[in-house]
Amino acid sequence: MTGWVLIVDDEEMIRENLKAYLEDEGLRVMAFESVTPALGWLCEGDPCPVCIMDMRLPDMDGNSAIRILHRLYPEMEFLIHTGSSSYSLPDDLRAMGLDDDRVYQKPLSDMAPLAAAVRSLSGRENRS
Amino acid sequence: MLNRSRLLIRPPPAARLAAWLARFFVLALLIMTAVDGTTMAYEPGQEPVDTGELPMMLRLTFWTLLPVVLITIASLLWSWLLRRQVAHRTRQLQRELGERQQAEAALRESEGRFRDVTEAASDWIWEMDANLRFTYLSERFYALTGIAPQHVLGRARWELATAESVADQQKWRQHRGTLEKHQPFRDFVYRTHIGDRPSNGRYLKISGKPIYDDQGRFVGYRGTGTDITEQIKAETALQQSELRLRRNIDLVPHMIFAKDRNGHFLLANRATAAAYGLTVEELVDRSHGVVHEINEEAERMLADDREVIDSGASKLIAEESFTDHTGHARIMQTIKIPFNEPGLNETAVLGVAIDITEQKQAKEEVARMRLYLRNIIDSMPSVLIGVDPWGYITVLNQPAEQACGASWEIAQGRFFGELFPQLESQFEQVCEAIRLGSPIKTPRMTLEDHGELHYADVMVYPLIADTASGAVIRVDDVTARVRIESMMVQTEKMLSVGGLAAGMAHEINNPLGAILQGSQNILRRIALDMPQNRAVAEAIGIDLDRLNRYLEQRRVLHFLEGIREAGARAAKIVADMLSFSRRSESRFAPVDLEDLLETVLRLAASDYDLKKKYDFKRITIQRDYDPTLHVVYCDKTEIEQVILNLLKNAAQAMAEDGASCPTITLRTRREPHYVLIEVIDNGPGMDEKILKRIFEPFFTTKEVGSGTGLGLSVSYFIVTEQHRGKLSVASKPGQGACFSIRLPIGREALS
Repeated sequence: MTGWVLIVDDEEMIRENLKAYLEDEGLRVMAFESVTPALGWLCEGDPCPVCIMDMRLPDMDGNSAIRILHRLYPEMEFLIHTGSSSYSLPDDLRAMGLDDDRVYQKPLSDMAPLAAAVRSLSGRENRS
Repeated sequence: MLNRSRLLIRPPPAARLAAWLARFFVLALLIMTAVDGTTMAYEPGQEPVDTGELPMMLRLTFWTLLPVVLITIASLLWSWLLRRQVAHRTRQLQRELGERQQAEAALRESEGRFRDVTEAASDWIWEMDANLRFTYLSERFYALTGIAPQHVLGRARWELATAESVADQQKWRQHRGTLEKHQPFRDFVYRTHIGDRPSNGRYLKISGKPIYDDQGRFVGYRGTGTDITEQIKAETALQQSELRLRRNIDLVPHMIFAKDRNGHFLLANRATAAAYGLTVEELVDRSHGVVHEINEEAERMLADDREVIDSGASKLIAEESFTDHTGHARIMQTIKIPFNEPGLNETAVLGVAIDITEQKQAKEEVARMRLYLRNIIDSMPSVLIGVDPWGYITVLNQPAEQACGASWEIAQGRFFGELFPQLESQFEQVCEAIRLGSPIKTPRMTLEDHGELHYADVMVYPLIADTASGAVIRVDDVTARVRIESMMVQTEKMLSVGGLAAGMAHEINNPLGAILQGSQNILRRIALDMPQNRAVAEAIGIDLDRLNRYLEQRRVLHFLEGIREAGARAAKIVADMLSFSRRSESRFAPVDLEDLLETVLRLAASDYDLKKKYDFKRITIQRDYDPTLHVVYCDKTEIEQVILNLLKNAAQAMAEDGASCPTITLRTRREPHYVLIEVIDNGPGMDEKILKRIFEPFFTTKEVGSGTGLGLSVSYFIVTEQHRGKLSVASKPGQGACFSIRLPIGREALS
């Protein structure tokens, strides 16, 4: 059994659609509308190798959330799903191993590539 | 006079005859007296005695008759002799008389002539005695000099003289010496103040020779004199006039000179001398060949001189080169005239040379300037039409000639509206501009050229020169600028749209994501091949296949697809609009050009739109890559977007055209300042009208709804604005199209 896929997105329909698609792909998904409840859930200790992170969030911005999560869970891999056209990866996030391929621009007319990325990242987690 | 004296001295023949007669008569008387005396002695006062009275008578008779006979004979003889003598003498006298009459007539004539001469001539006759005092002056003296003879007679010449200067005194000493030595003299000139006009000195010229009596004693001088005051005055006046002339010709800035046939200067003014670096005195009498340093010029001038001298006709040399003593080359206009002067043995040449160097230069300058201005107005891309106040053409420049299809020569003098019908309405502006004296502009005047709309800025400038009033109509075709401007306006609009879109992207993309992702999930969750779907359907007792048939029949799936496509298109528009925002260069990175192109080709092959509408696999892709070209510094995704867009356009155009073997060539080349990427298709190509507008935002040849009309304008924006490169297109109908992307090479070097 693979670990959970964490989705943090404040747009409910996006959250729901991603969750539905990934679940149809056979993945276990937890979705939150902001970072704080997600952190609370993670504290419960369920393994979560992949996180799909929105950038504009009610309680903090996505980059900060990634920095916090990375500190707490260094093994966690991140995919960025943003509606902001001018988003570019900050250098410290690049230093964590993130690159432009991890950035998915909203709207996603096809979620298959994202699902494939999630699957591949969580699989790697498994192997390691 | 001598002749007369000789005649008087010789005794005449008649006188000699009378003397002879007188002598004979005296002898006869003496004989007669002697005979009478003897007789008387015998019978003085008595009757004769008878003794020997008859012989006595006879003797007496004989003695009485003898002298009578003798006298008679002698008389007869004498008479005959006398007659002969008289006849001879008469003839002689007659001859002499004739001669004398002739001589007298000759004398009278001679005297008359002499009188006429002395009276008519300007000369008078003077005589002076051995003491050199004047004794005689002919009447002409007074008549000529106005000096009364009494002022002069009895005085010596030097007492009459005015000797003011040392030279005069010297002259007089010399003259006096001559006279005292009794030498003849000629043409001695002196000045005198004697007479009733003492203030007016007279100039007298005298000649004289000594006279001697029969014994050879010097008795004085006799000679002629003439009053040369007028002559001297005339000469002085002439000298002054010559001096004045001299001054005048020296004042003339042109070269005035006279030369003989050997090139010797007979006369030269200061300007001439100055040209040779000499004074007038130095130049005159010198040879032209000597003073003129440039041989060819001197020879040519001498040849001209001789031509004038020989032909006797003047010659105008319109232009000749002359190098002065400083080596400064001048252009002269020279007139040479045959020159005859009393003092000259042969014809000379008089020349006047005018320095026309500056004139010529000015003329050349004017010509050059005219040409230059002509070039300027011809080189100007604007159509320039010069008109007079009545609208008749005075000048056309080359573009204007091309525009109306008539040369200036033909157009000149015709009404401009005739040759430029579309500008005819500008006549009002021409009149107004001339009236106001200021230019009038008609911006963006619409003109039609072969059915195509053009924009022109028309400017009417009044000509305000004194000599020629009129106006110049300037027409600038600003169609391209208007289009570029409108494009720029559009671009600005797009940029603001881009800025707005960037700000709203998040808000728009989230709902679009919900739409797109939602429709994808719906389609997936009714799909028959998903086990989860079947499981759920079974659990709730629904036949999934039948549901699908229902959805198909009710076209629900179609509508869903419609939602999905609409969402995708909206997403595309938002993405395009976002492209209009200027981005930082942070995305710029060295990119392998071949990799980039191959990626784009892969994207194109798998592109949803392409796959659906045009079969990209049918298109032959030819790769013509420059092997030396690897790395390009650019925003990879942007350039990918541009090239993908070009590929899509090409594919679409070729699909519409139904080309039999559609081919796209991708070519890369290195240029001095740019990396060139060309996308060449063999599709239907485009006409000029489309080409001009192809990069305009929202310009599309595609049917409504099939394209956003932003593709090429976005590409243009990306290449020119974001990459400082160039995007151009070349195409002709039926000959395909070639899009050229040029990216600055500078950044490649940086990488």
